[in-house]
Amino acid sequence: MTALNIDLEELAAIIRLIKEAEFSEFRYAKGDVSLLVRRGELPADGGGGEATTAAALAPHPTPKVVPAAASQPSAPSPRGRGSESALQGSSSSVTAPLLGSFYGAPKPGDPPFVSVGDRVEADTVVCIIEVMKLMNSVVAGVAGVIAAVHVSDGELVEYGQSLFTIQPVQPA
Amino acid sequence: MSARRIFVANRGEIAVRVIEACQRLGIETILGVSAADKETLAARRATRTVTLGGARSGESYLNQPTIVHAALSTACAAVHPGYGFLSERADFARLCAENGLIFIGATPEQLETLGDKLSARAFAQSVDVPVSPGGPTQTLDEAKALATEIGYPLLVKAAFGGGGRGMKLVERADDLNEAWSVASSEAASSFGDGTVFLERFVRAAKHIEVQILGDRHGGCLQLGERECSLQFRYQKILEEAPSSSLNPDDRAKLHSYALRIANGLKYQGLGTVEFLYDVDKRDIWFLEVNPRVQVEHPVTEAVTGVDLVREQVLVAFGEPLRLSQSDIRLEGHAVELRLTAQNPADGLRPSPGRVTKWRPSPIGGVRWDTHMYEGYLFPPYYDALMAKIIAFGLDRKAALSRASQAVDSLEVEGPITNATLLRQLLAHQAVIENSVTTLWLEEQFARRTFP
Repeated sequence: MTALNIDLEELAAIIRLIKEAEFSEFRYAKGDVSLLVRRGELPADGGGGEATTAAALAPHPTPKVVPAAASQPSAPSPRGRGSESALQGSSSSVTAPLLGSFYGAPKPGDPPFVSVGDRVEADTVVCIIEVMKLMNSVVAGVAGVIAAVHVSDGELVEYGQSLFTIQPVQPA
Repeated sequence: MSARRIFVANRGEIAVRVIEACQRLGIETILGVSAADKETLAARRATRTVTLGGARSGESYLNQPTIVHAALSTACAAVHPGYGFLSERADFARLCAENGLIFIGATPEQLETLGDKLSARAFAQSVDVPVSPGGPTQTLDEAKALATEIGYPLLVKAAFGGGGRGMKLVERADDLNEAWSVASSEAASSFGDGTVFLERFVRAAKHIEVQILGDRHGGCLQLGERECSLQFRYQKILEEAPSSSLNPDDRAKLHSYALRIANGLKYQGLGTVEFLYDVDKRDIWFLEVNPRVQVEHPVTEAVTGVDLVREQVLVAFGEPLRLSQSDIRLEGHAVELRLTAQNPADGLRPSPGRVTKWRPSPIGGVRWDTHMYEGYLFPPYYDALMAKIIAFGLDRKAALSRASQAVDSLEVEGPITNATLLRQLLAHQAVIENSVTTLWLEEQFARRTFP
């Protein structure tokens, strides 16, 4: 079975098309091939539309070009074609489950648990909150991509304070 | 001295009271709140508010490591625990000290001595302050012998562990066997110690307490007494200063007992020494010491002119007392009413909810200690106190009259309050004559005199 018989140029053209149009989701099916391109709602931290499109694609490192297996044609139907269903992934916040000092890395000098753009699962540890020398791991709680980090190392965070913004995606 | 900052680990009206005292001293306040208390009056008044944890007290107001962490992270020098919550916890006082924070209260050792009924009684006895006849018993035979000695009726309760848990009234010798055995097994299972405390039960007793204040340099004062006999199930409803039940001899005795305890402990901070007063027999018995600011402290402030919370903060920072005993002169009479979100028509069941109307009337001689405002959502998680109405007059009659005026003119809507009960109480002959004893109101409720 040929996995891809759509070339990159065609894909780029399609993405350009979507970028210009106001579509947030695009599906294409032809023969054995179906294509899904979705534009998310990530805050455009880095700037303009290009970043947005890139970020939206990032969750799917393999282009969402899927061989139309038996299951595939049925996928679009429960989701409908309305644009609201495409916006299901509105951003979610990771809030501090307790008051304490925020640490973004396992120990000083280590690379951070997560950075903007990183893919996380619901159980991925995203930071540590220290209360009186007791370290409490905080998990993402939702699968997605880190869109923003709101606090810096050592900062006092309060109960319920927003620590990260995550753009949810379908579990891989 | 450089700008000081105090962490306020409490809520409600007492948080507002502490913040207000700090503001007058030029001290910044960091208020630790639960997620349910972010919109309180204290949160608006504090220099800064930090959210400690969830609505449940265990996650917020009782969460010791979190409070200490928050106080250190916000560069506070001291923690004010208010009343209730962590105010009498020796372990918390110690945790503060270990982390370089001043705990605004008694020392951990004093809190330990006073926190346990047996050691508190033993201490009172050691400084020749009379305690009610009674003592701990390990066996039923011991209990029988002691009961004969102290006479009936008597109270039977667990020696360790606080509150009124498992407390039983024994009217006759025939009932001792069962009551003692139940109390002992309850005590053993709840507190890991089956020791049972027997104590004489005084049916017609008044609750009288003395305000004490001590500094770190051995200085101690008493600031007169308060009477709080009007209670409902050990919850005080009306408090006043001075007590109109004491003759001069008994008053002098009471004050000297309180000072003996304060001096004996080298007591630090604000405290209240509580006594039972048997009016007929003129017996005075030590009950306990509350080592913290008391809810009813404003009546003492009204008649002495001393800002007790201010003094409490200053002595905690190590300043010597600025007042001597001869500076404490009482003038007039003050009455405090506790306005609560409790429905008198429904056994004083709590009635939280949105305060849709809150209009206390400005009346000369009346102080309102409150955290109410229109639109405030009274949460269901904590105590029902809405406001303390403190009325001052040249004599008791004048103070009561102003208190009535204040309750009558209050416009409050939203939660159901006990205002109707307060009005009935103020009009009742027993209150006007001050013949009430600690069980009076409960008996009236049982007889359906109220509401």
